[in-house]
Amino acid sequence: MLKGMTRLVSRVHKLDPGRFSHLGTQAPQCPVAHLDNQVPTERTRAISRTLENDPAKHGEQHVGQHYNISIQELKTVFPHGLPPRFVMQVKTFNEACLMVRKPALELLHYLKNTNFAHPAVRYVLYGEKGTGKTLSLCHIIHFCAKQDWLILHIPDAHLWVKNCRDLLQSTYNKQRFDQPLEASIWLKNFKTANERFLSQIKVQDKYVWNKRESTEKGSPLAEVVEQGIMRVRNATDAVGIVLKELKRQSSLGVFRLLVAVDGVNALWGRTTLKREDKSPITPEELALIYNLRKMVKNDWQGGAIVLTVSQTGSLFKPRKAYLPQELLGKEGFDTLDPFIPILVSNYNPKEFEGCIQYYLENNWLQHEKAHTEEGKKELLFLSNRNPGLLERLCAYL
Amino acid sequence: MAAPTAKVSRGWSGLALGVRIAVLRLPGLTQVRWSRYGPEYQDPQIDKEYYRKPLAQLTEEETYERELRKTQVIKAAPATKTSSVFEDPVISKFTNMMMKGGNKILARSLMTQTLEAVKRKQFEKYHAASAEEQATVERNPYTIFHQALKNCEPVIGLVPILKGGHFYQVPVPLAERRRRFLAMKWMITECREKKPRRMLMPEKLSQELLEAFCNRGPVIKRKHDMHKMAEANRALAHYRWW
Repeated sequence: MLKGMTRLVSRVHKLDPGRFSHLGTQAPQCPVAHLDNQVPTERTRAISRTLENDPAKHGEQHVGQHYNISIQELKTVFPHGLPPRFVMQVKTFNEACLMVRKPALELLHYLKNTNFAHPAVRYVLYGEKGTGKTLSLCHIIHFCAKQDWLILHIPDAHLWVKNCRDLLQSTYNKQRFDQPLEASIWLKNFKTANERFLSQIKVQDKYVWNKRESTEKGSPLAEVVEQGIMRVRNATDAVGIVLKELKRQSSLGVFRLLVAVDGVNALWGRTTLKREDKSPITPEELALIYNLRKMVKNDWQGGAIVLTVSQTGSLFKPRKAYLPQELLGKEGFDTLDPFIPILVSNYNPKEFEGCIQYYLENNWLQHEKAHTEEGKKELLFLSNRNPGLLERLCAYL
Repeated sequence: MAAPTAKVSRGWSGLALGVRIAVLRLPGLTQVRWSRYGPEYQDPQIDKEYYRKPLAQLTEEETYERELRKTQVIKAAPATKTSSVFEDPVISKFTNMMMKGGNKILARSLMTQTLEAVKRKQFEKYHAASAEEQATVERNPYTIFHQALKNCEPVIGLVPILKGGHFYQVPVPLAERRRRFLAMKWMITECREKKPRRMLMPEKLSQELLEAFCNRGPVIKRKHDMHKMAEANRALAHYRWW
């Protein structure tokens, strides 16, 4: 009885009077007096939003609820990396709300208790298609950005091993290939995400770009990034330098580094890129992939490595494969070997209710029958509680 | 319903059980476009609510009807008719008309993408509108779809009638299903032919549906042209004999 009352009191405190209009007049008054008529309506309707917008304070009680990220924060923390359908949803609803789920909470707990003197721990999010691996990764990135970590986010490693129009022979090493376009786009987004760190971190080596340009030892990392963006031919080398410097300096403890790679199984698979003589290129011959592989090794301290393996976008992998062993292959699995696997599965009933409630609150489900119990049962059946499928179903209902 | 427009051919085909005999007016003629079900076959009852009614609550006629159905033969339900709550016969018909070469998967995905596009556009308009206008913005893609097709239906049509060796375009009132068919046909043809090269069908269709909903756009114009032609030829109305 007392537990019920305290839970009710905490729930009423969390409620914003503006959101639930029928409680609007009652909220300022003492909640205890209105116990009888408030309890039935509270219990029957699932709560889909929480006012706790700081990922650090998310806990078990927030599972299934959505928290809001302001649009300015979205632009700085996620210049790239959000799934395209989520970006469409943000544009349509004019707000970015992410659901708090168990795998992300587990990862947050591990990250909060990391020992930065030990080598970086690797976490691999895996799961079937559409279960929410990328958005869980984005939740983690938001947490780390709020905690002032340096975010090294590669939105989709699969984009670097396919459909590359311009492959140049690398100036640094004749055996490898450069991808100027992909590297320059990534550098631009990296700059937007980590503006404040770039002026603080100083480069510890001298780098000569060509006969006329060079970066001196001790100059800020921002210069290297600028050089990569301005001179697109040197962009891949600039990326390599950035990765090397960050890895070296994070061990010193100046900042904490989060390496977040989505689709890490691209680093060890096959590519669809070919040389001029039509012979295939292996991933290690691409300079970007070669440098990224060094980042994903756990021989540095002062941060964490969070990875996702995904079949969508992967090359030459069967559609039903979702386990890390199947997607990474022998070579990748051996390289990543001591890692913590985190399974991301479909929604549980509470999360499903929360999701439907969120859509109903935003008036996204416009079909009259979608509001009924029959409609909800049908959505449950059709989507099997898979988040991606549910989103696509609700889009046209 | 197939009887008055049944195509008949000469020749005798073996009569099997359930084959329609009553429809044929002349001996020795069989229908070319026909259903394999005889007249005694009943249509299937797809509605879930019909079966959910508890037996105690049925009236006498309904109990009689249920007992009668137990003795009757029933046609198989087509694969496209589901007992889903979200099913809409107009949307199904439109999807079938959009389908090319039996590719229902593609046609259905185009339909769902169109509905999504309509919804997103209306949401944008809703957020951009002021508080008073927000009540007038319709966001349900299904109401927009139905209203747009209703707005495109012509009231009167033209039919070529042969008189004195010449074909005259005679204004004629159209049946309900002919009007619905013409509205959908015009919409699909308009979107297929007047589409810019790189634009996808859902985007163009959503544009046309929204314009038809507001009673403007090329499909409405075609309906008005049809009405004007009928008005111009109203002297020939006497040529109609039905």
